[in-house]
Amino acid sequence: MKPLLLALGNDLMGDDAVGLVAARAMRQEMPEGWEVQEAAGNGLDLLDALEGREKVLLVDAVCTGKVPPGTILEFGVPDFRHLAAASPHTVGLPEVMALARELSLPFPSAMRILAMEVEPVMAVREGLSAVVAEALPRFLERTRAICASMAAAP
Amino acid sequence: MQNHDANTEAASRKITIDPITRLEGHGKIDIFLDEKGDVKQAYYQIPELRGFEVFSLGRPAEDMPQITSRICGVCPTAHHMAATKALDDLYRVEPPPTARKLRELIYNTFMLEDHALHVYILGGPDFIVGPDAPKEMRNVVGVIGKVGVEVGRRVISTRRRLRELISYLGGKVVHPVFGLPGGVAKGIAPGDLPQFREVAAEGLEFARFTLQVFRDIVLKNPEYRELISSDAFTHPTYYMGLVDGDNKINFYDGAIRVVDPSGKEFARFPPRDYLEHVAEHVEPWSYVKFCYLKKIGWKGFQDGPASGIYSVAPLARLNASGGPATPIAQEAYQEYLSALGPGPVHHTLANHWARVIEMIAAAERMNELVHDPAITGTELRVLPTATPTVGVGVVEAPRGTLIHHYETDERGRITRANLIVATQNNAGRISMSVDKAAKGLIRGGQVSEGLLNRVEMAFRAYDPCNACATHFLPGQMPIALRIRDEQGRILRELSR
Repeated sequence: MKPLLLALGNDLMGDDAVGLVAARAMRQEMPEGWEVQEAAGNGLDLLDALEGREKVLLVDAVCTGKVPPGTILEFGVPDFRHLAAASPHTVGLPEVMALARELSLPFPSAMRILAMEVEPVMAVREGLSAVVAEALPRFLERTRAICASMAAAP
Repeated sequence: MQNHDANTEAASRKITIDPITRLEGHGKIDIFLDEKGDVKQAYYQIPELRGFEVFSLGRPAEDMPQITSRICGVCPTAHHMAATKALDDLYRVEPPPTARKLRELIYNTFMLEDHALHVYILGGPDFIVGPDAPKEMRNVVGVIGKVGVEVGRRVISTRRRLRELISYLGGKVVHPVFGLPGGVAKGIAPGDLPQFREVAAEGLEFARFTLQVFRDIVLKNPEYRELISSDAFTHPTYYMGLVDGDNKINFYDGAIRVVDPSGKEFARFPPRDYLEHVAEHVEPWSYVKFCYLKKIGWKGFQDGPASGIYSVAPLARLNASGGPATPIAQEAYQEYLSALGPGPVHHTLANHWARVIEMIAAAERMNELVHDPAITGTELRVLPTATPTVGVGVVEAPRGTLIHHYETDERGRITRANLIVATQNNAGRISMSVDKAAKGLIRGGQVSEGLLNRVEMAFRAYDPCNACATHFLPGQMPIALRIRDEQGRILRELSR
């Protein structure tokens, strides 16, 4: 299957949409053969998008509360090894990866995660905040660089 | 946050995700102790999504099924359908029989899929892995360990096939484009019907199999049965749910029925009249409005017939109705009643059992619909002509009664939007459940081990919607629990 740029987010939820905005901007300039998809982020949808892929770059908003909004963060698969106890309501990337592993489903061998720190979003609104919009060009730059390096890798 | 690693790299910074970083804004529990160190009151804070009404103002009502389905990545189909039905009501238009049946088909498919997700993955750690299992096993890996890899694969593949049906009719599952005022956008081509029949049959077999898994793992365990019926997880309250003309459960449509704690009908009314029956109470410590029965009134966090607190979701639906409308689910319901009945079942943890029964009910209804000759009909819409004013649409979301209420100007632009989501209906009872669990486990300032597990179980049985729509990467909405002294000072924090 084709390499994938997968954006997670909700564009009715302000800065939560930063991954979607980035992916839309990248559509025209992806390396040859790459696919771009958007997902709403409910965990098992991720399973559908990721199963059978080899190379995936996931772009999303993140809310760690440890760094200022607009900070660009990168994660690898090992960062998501730690399973939370059961969530009251949803399934996250760590659980999806654990499911794939336990069930021996074909899952990306090369997956990277690029995220931008945002403030918690608890109100419905469209559009990015000033600080996130200002950081967007750097986020795109990093997306480009990672895609290029993943495309070049065997 | 002990794993915080702030190594700075050229273009980005690396930090390690640990569960505590996933807590921002979600599921906070505050437990206030009295001077003796006993629990005075525990509060479960459900963060509420704000700004929805303002966001909707001035938008065309026809956009609401798309907008509302996008506020929640977990139950988009429920919002989509409640909004679509509110548009039917707004324009005073009845969809033709085929359109109605297609809506019901997609809706039951969604119920089956969503309930399966909860049974195996979200709630599974509590009742498949077990309440006293070690923390490191209380997750999806523990569930697979208990049910086996083959069952795990079956869950994933059945879910995927069910979602393919939803996608066939509605496009993307997360952003369905299906319901229109007075009908639907797409029908089933006769040539594609075999796929629907095949998946519906597979779904029913899967639901029955799930009941067997539940019997083998949960019901054969006497400790678990005891826990289900223990006082800590029991609240006699009122119950609400949609019912058909025979007072049987209907997820898609019907009258709203409320029964009292003894099971006697307290009210039965069309969705449009909901404001005559439901009111919202505000507490200073929470954004969430606590729904209660207007005719009884808000009497604080109390159960019993004198308190207006009521409950929705699977357990409540079985209590508020005369059971499922289909034979296999009815049989499963009888088995449930003979163990926990005869009257309304007040045990919160029985929600999990009720959910399995509802999986069967949804699958049977799917099978009825895919064998209904009208399902491949081509008359899909009645065009609305009435001038819009007010529309109310109600469905039973997996988590309980979901109400969409819109008011518009004469051009159909929203002037008022009110949503009552399942978790608001349940907020009072959830708070009582959390309070009761805390009271049983904290005495004289001593916190029993397992507090967090039991408190989590108390609210997870309701499958609460903590905040529709935030999809931050960690994808988790776990809980933070704070124990405070009588001055409100934090004595201890526990979190996942």
